[in-house]
Amino acid sequence: MYIELHCRSAFSFLEGASLPENLVATCANLNMPAMALLDRDGVYGSPRFHMAAKKARIKAHIGAEVTCESFPSQGHRVTETTNQKLKTSSVSLRLGGEFRIPLLVSSRIGYQNLCRLITKMKLRSAKSEGAVREEELREHSAGLICLTGSDDGPLALALAHGGQEAARNCIQRLISIFGHENVYVELQRHFHREQEDRNRAFIEIARSLQLPLLATNGVCYATPQEREVCDVFTAIRHHRTLATGGRLLARNSERHLKSPQEMQALFADLPEAIANTVELSSRLAFTFKDLGYEFPKYPVPEGETMMSFMRERTREGFQERYGRSSSELQNRARDQIERELQLIEKLDLAGYFLIVWDLVRYCRKENILVQGRGSAANSAVCYSLGITAVDPVRMELLFERFLSDERGEWPDIDLDLPSGDQRERVIQYLYKRYGEHGAAMTANVITYRSRMASREMGRALGFDPETLDKVSAAVSTWEYRDDNDTFDHRLRDAGLDLNHPRLRKYFELCVAVQDLPRHLGQHSGGMVICQGQLDSIVPLEPASMPGRVVVQWDKEDCADLGIIKVDLLGLGMMAVLEDSLKLIQDHHQEEVDLAHLPPDDPTVYSTLQKADTIGMFQIESRAQMACLPRLQPKCFYDIVVQVAIIRPGPIVGQMVNPYLQRRMGREPVNHLHPSLEPVLKRTLGVPLFQEQLLRIAMVAANFTGGEAEELRRAMGFKRSQARMRDIEAKLRSGMERNGIAREAQEQIILSITSFALYGFPESHAASFALIAYASAYLKCHYLAAFTAAMLNNQPMGFYRPATLVKDAQRHGLKVLPIDVTKSEWQCTLEHSAISTQHSASSNTGTISLRLGLRYARGLREEAAQSLVRQRKLAPFISIRDLIHRVPALRKDELNTLAEIGALNEIGCRDAAGYLSTKLHRRDALWQVERAVRHSGPLLDELPEPDANSPLRPMNQEERLVADFRGTGMTVGPHPMAYHRTRMEAMGIHKASELEHIPDGQYLRIGGCVICRQRPGTAKGFVFLSIEDETGVANAIVTPDLFQKNRLLLSSAQFLMVEGILQNQDNVISLKAERVLPLSITRAETSSHDFY
Amino acid sequence: MPFACIFVPDFSVEALLRAEPELRSQSLAVLEGKAPLQKVFAVNENARRVGVSPGMSKVQIEACAEVALRPRSLPQEAAAHAALLDCAQSFSPRVEDADCDTIVLDLGGLQPLFGPLPKIAQALSRRASDLGLETSVAVADNPDTAVLAARGFSGVTVIAEGKEAEQLGSLPVEVLFGNAAAESTQLLEVFSRWGIRKLRELASLPDVALSQRLGQAGIHFQKLARGAISRTLVPFETPSVFQEVIELEYPLVLLEPLAFLLGRLLERLCARLQAHALATQELRLDLELQNGWQTEDLSTNNNGETGVPARPAQKQSRFQRTLRLPVPLLDSRIFLELLQLDLKAHPPGAPIIKIHLAAEPARPRTAQSGLFLPPMPEPEKLELTLARIAGIVGEDKVGSLELLDTHRPEGFRMQHFAPEPFSPQRHRDAEQTTTKKSKDCSVPEPAPSAAEGCLCGDDLVTALRIFRPSVNVAVTMQDGQPLHITCPRNKEMQGAILWTAGPWRSSGDWWEHEGWARDEWDIAVQGENGIALYRLVRDRLNGKWILEGTYD
Repeated sequence: MYIELHCRSAFSFLEGASLPENLVATCANLNMPAMALLDRDGVYGSPRFHMAAKKARIKAHIGAEVTCESFPSQGHRVTETTNQKLKTSSVSLRLGGEFRIPLLVSSRIGYQNLCRLITKMKLRSAKSEGAVREEELREHSAGLICLTGSDDGPLALALAHGGQEAARNCIQRLISIFGHENVYVELQRHFHREQEDRNRAFIEIARSLQLPLLATNGVCYATPQEREVCDVFTAIRHHRTLATGGRLLARNSERHLKSPQEMQALFADLPEAIANTVELSSRLAFTFKDLGYEFPKYPVPEGETMMSFMRERTREGFQERYGRSSSELQNRARDQIERELQLIEKLDLAGYFLIVWDLVRYCRKENILVQGRGSAANSAVCYSLGITAVDPVRMELLFERFLSDERGEWPDIDLDLPSGDQRERVIQYLYKRYGEHGAAMTANVITYRSRMASREMGRALGFDPETLDKVSAAVSTWEYRDDNDTFDHRLRDAGLDLNHPRLRKYFELCVAVQDLPRHLGQHSGGMVICQGQLDSIVPLEPASMPGRVVVQWDKEDCADLGIIKVDLLGLGMMAVLEDSLKLIQDHHQEEVDLAHLPPDDPTVYSTLQKADTIGMFQIESRAQMACLPRLQPKCFYDIVVQVAIIRPGPIVGQMVNPYLQRRMGREPVNHLHPSLEPVLKRTLGVPLFQEQLLRIAMVAANFTGGEAEELRRAMGFKRSQARMRDIEAKLRSGMERNGIAREAQEQIILSITSFALYGFPESHAASFALIAYASAYLKCHYLAAFTAAMLNNQPMGFYRPATLVKDAQRHGLKVLPIDVTKSEWQCTLEHSAISTQHSASSNTGTISLRLGLRYARGLREEAAQSLVRQRKLAPFISIRDLIHRVPALRKDELNTLAEIGALNEIGCRDAAGYLSTKLHRRDALWQVERAVRHSGPLLDELPEPDANSPLRPMNQEERLVADFRGTGMTVGPHPMAYHRTRMEAMGIHKASELEHIPDGQYLRIGGCVICRQRPGTAKGFVFLSIEDETGVANAIVTPDLFQKNRLLLSSAQFLMVEGILQNQDNVISLKAERVLPLSITRAETSSHDFY
Repeated sequence: MPFACIFVPDFSVEALLRAEPELRSQSLAVLEGKAPLQKVFAVNENARRVGVSPGMSKVQIEACAEVALRPRSLPQEAAAHAALLDCAQSFSPRVEDADCDTIVLDLGGLQPLFGPLPKIAQALSRRASDLGLETSVAVADNPDTAVLAARGFSGVTVIAEGKEAEQLGSLPVEVLFGNAAAESTQLLEVFSRWGIRKLRELASLPDVALSQRLGQAGIHFQKLARGAISRTLVPFETPSVFQEVIELEYPLVLLEPLAFLLGRLLERLCARLQAHALATQELRLDLELQNGWQTEDLSTNNNGETGVPARPAQKQSRFQRTLRLPVPLLDSRIFLELLQLDLKAHPPGAPIIKIHLAAEPARPRTAQSGLFLPPMPEPEKLELTLARIAGIVGEDKVGSLELLDTHRPEGFRMQHFAPEPFSPQRHRDAEQTTTKKSKDCSVPEPAPSAAEGCLCGDDLVTALRIFRPSVNVAVTMQDGQPLHITCPRNKEMQGAILWTAGPWRSSGDWWEHEGWARDEWDIAVQGENGIALYRLVRDRLNGKWILEGTYD
């Protein structure tokens, strides 16, 4: 028997080539009962290793290879005896530079020590650097077992730098740190002469000091084939190519998992080295079951328990939320809350709820918009505590989706916060409250995906930068992939011939590294909190953002190990809402309270019914727009349905059409089975929400709440066939017992299996619908403020700023260009005397939107802020004056400002400061070039004879090109507007005309492509949104047509599309039969493409 | 004084079309780069029309069946350029080699000889066309105007005196920059921002204001645009060719009389070089052979590389050798000896009827050794010695070793042996290091490797003598270890294996065609003459066994 006790996974980041799961699987195939994972300076892969090992019934030993600083030559803290020995030695200890000690965890204390050791090292050094010191090793040595390592281990380095004597001293030092019984002399055999030579020296030293020998294989990958990936990683790590990697690359492919028989044969002369692996494995008692994690306790006043305190807060919240409701609802809510409180008490989760409550309270106090979402919205307690905004009792949401007695896992509360600074304030509040080592962000493991893989593999193989660019551009794929869309086709499209052996190898490597970890990032919002020291649970690292600490595990790992996390998610739309409210207050002098918006605003619903939803949260996409006119939302619940219906679940499960048909009365409502009527009634017999599926399982097959939730998880991403079969059998037997007909059973099972993974929880949809309604309300009534807030929070949403601006202009908003005499960094509102003609609402009549300097491409914020500061002191009297007073502005920034017309208003002013003449853009460019160039003392003083330049003003096309190049948009007419006469001559219809043209007519549309989509659920169809000056038209391209015109459809800015008009229930689109490029402008417009 | 400019649009394409004129009517794309990453370098008008443009990859345009693809040929471009120069020089003695695709010539005084300027321009164009190049020719009163007009207008253009600005005005500003577009990006950007598209617009900008903005560069380009710049032509100097020829009355078949004639030729050449205070670093011997004999075209250089043999399909009656020297030399005796040694190693193989000998001129060496330095071998003698050794052991077996950073066994390459030139600074540094070492002798040098670290104190060095070539053997295995070797060629190297160490396994270059993987064993074999230690190797890719060497 042999147990591999020294193994790196790909979580050693570029030093290992196999995922922990693959290592475990190989280990199981080799009939090894246990295995140890020792990643470099961390336990990054340990949770996945632990979970995989648990499944494979293999004992997972935890450890790490820890980088250490070279031991000082005379350790003054060495124990007396060892010191004596060292003194007698005439050769001082010389170890060269840093080395790595493999440490195995034997107990929980050992694990805690390992975590603290790594945390100490990480938190004081830059990313991927750092080394522990000898005194730290001494302080945290308890519960750890030390191996002597391989080439980069302490013993090998001591031997190389100081010979036998130094090696002996080194090992004595290790004994003094870890104890004689906790040091094993490690032997590896990779068929190297030098290694074998070293092994002899090791054996001699071990025998003389009576230390046990331990055979390991220093594994870096599961199978020999993966050595290639490991070599590539080595090259990447050293910034070399494979060809220049030389002896940094591996000598052979022997660092793979070997079977006990192979290892026994290798160490036939040293059977004790093999036997010791089993003996040592039996000493390693620690597993992740024994992690010792505790959620922090919430401090409560004297005489209160957390539960009693929470009950009181819930009661207060109940009064506020349900105080004015009907007694029937009050009773139901009271019962529900009581049920939930009992469960919370039973699961001892009061602390968790109180901490989240405290966080929400902090946000309210600081005027930060906050809203709980996800499954927490199913909880009446969360609603009462103010964590969520949707009433789960009124909406009859399923509490078990959030929390159940049977599931044995922690609840998940996600808080939506405005993205940016506000969210950062909340995060910092958590850090401050729970201490630096008490709270941390969860990690986000960055793994190799197509683009990164293609780039890095290409670099390792020595491709030139131009080819690399080409290759990585080629692999950005559409979401849908047809038969022609395989990786090799894409490479061929990029001009690479896969018949060439090197490119073939490149292709193989790209495939092999997919999903392997590359480095550690930080999750956008997940935070873990711990009672006491989090650094004894998992090592902490500094995040790249100052003041943040990140744990070594991602959120799934944390969830798997039972660590509670709070997701503080930055939602762009929350920031838009918050900013809009401020702008409304400043410019309309109105206080809008999002919690008390008019619930059934007719303007909002009529706008939604017309699918006029650009910019609105979650209902603005092309697919949403294609559904809205058919769904015709009339109340809030319709928006909830609308948010949930355009999701892969309902689309794949073919639920969309039946629902819409039933809604329009074209199909009878059928509930699968009479017993399911209460569950499916609200959605006309069509299951649309995850909760409904869980309820179906509960009603039809007598599942308990927990079992139903288990069903949802079984359908999750890591679907197991066996688990699915078990559940299906259980469902069938339940339904059989309830007398459900076989046909209905099939239908139920089909809907459950196709739906459970991608379906949207109703609670989540309801939370999103609230935000969607708020965004629609603000857009309808406060267009200027809403648009300004949208533009100030880019990038977000489905459309580019250019589209948002054009949409707002079509709705009557006047958008003013960037002007250094008026613009701030952000977009602002200005009161103008002229009211617009097509004003959708009276509120926008006199308010215009001024584009902010942030939209001048390449202009740095600090330079722009400096400009604004100077302007506030005194207006700029000339461009020279601007350049003189704002030295932070670079020449390229000034050129951009001049080119987009932002300097036109500076012009020439008379003595009183009044504008006398206005510059054109080229005048400004002419002056900028003069002002930024020092032409020497002779010419510098020469006054400019004339403010006007000899250059001709930009024509319309040039202005358009400059606008798009400098700001990505134009506030002037749409490019298509300049060519309308020509377009009409070509028989091209305006987007606004389409609604008046009967279904089935063959016609042409044309315009700027603002969005291209090839959704995974659309079987290769491509959807184009084509914008002209009157609106947006949609075109549907068949896979065949796409294949024929791939390049044109993927890259052309302006297109003319011919085809048959489809107008079904006011959903208008053109079924394309021919596409042609349209020559409109050289301006570089851009589209939002969804790959 | 009038000047003419001959400009070849799409020069790389034209250079290729000289060799294959039948492609002129087709779409042609010239490719650059190594397979498989070849990209389009240049295209002709037909190709441009079907959408092929420079920068596209080969695979991208392979789909267009009608586009002919050719690799870029620098020799053909050089030949085209030389032809262009010849064309210009056949008209005027004062010719400027402005660019690879642009030649300017002084037409002063040519009118009485060739007629009026338009006629000369036409004649130039015709002559270039006869040489296989389609060109644009322009004549103007100053060289730069002629260049701009040739770049901008196709066919033949004559710019009348005083009408330069007017005629150039319609050209785009890009013509100002020609092939130097990369350096001119910034200026072009400024012009583009200002809306300056034509030379006329640039010409009309006020001088002082332009100078304040773009400095002297702006003024220079404006003058160019106005056609109001004058400069002196930089005439092209034809490099002197030092060549001697002997035609023989009867074919030579022996090397000795050839050496005699070569000696004479070399003396003449050296005398001519000396007269110009020049030496040579390259000698080219071109022997014409009696008709019908197979030929060889080889060259040797100081890297020990051998040239590519001529294509056997094409029968030529020439034999060429090129002798490249590490430093410029001028000693006919040394040259003769070197040529003799080379010819001994590479005999012409056929009777010789004509001898051409050419020397590439180079500036002689000016280095002087240090007064107190040990004398280095004379480069002439050293070269001779090396050539003699190469004659015996082969050219690729002489030189200094350069170790390669690889695990591959015998990972080294041969470099031509050339002692480094003397550098006083380096000499001082070396001296200081030596002194420091001798003073600081108490500090022991760190052991270079782990292996040596273990063996410290043990002065035994085991040397491995590599067999060249290695010895093929058959091996009987037992339990994964070699048990017995058989060597049919050498009975001494076979027998029972008494002791083994290994396998020592290595592999690498898996991403290349020539990946390798091998196992090595150190073995003790009971041979007829006692026990011998060998290194036994198995190639894991083809399964072959060899004895690679023996341990002393």
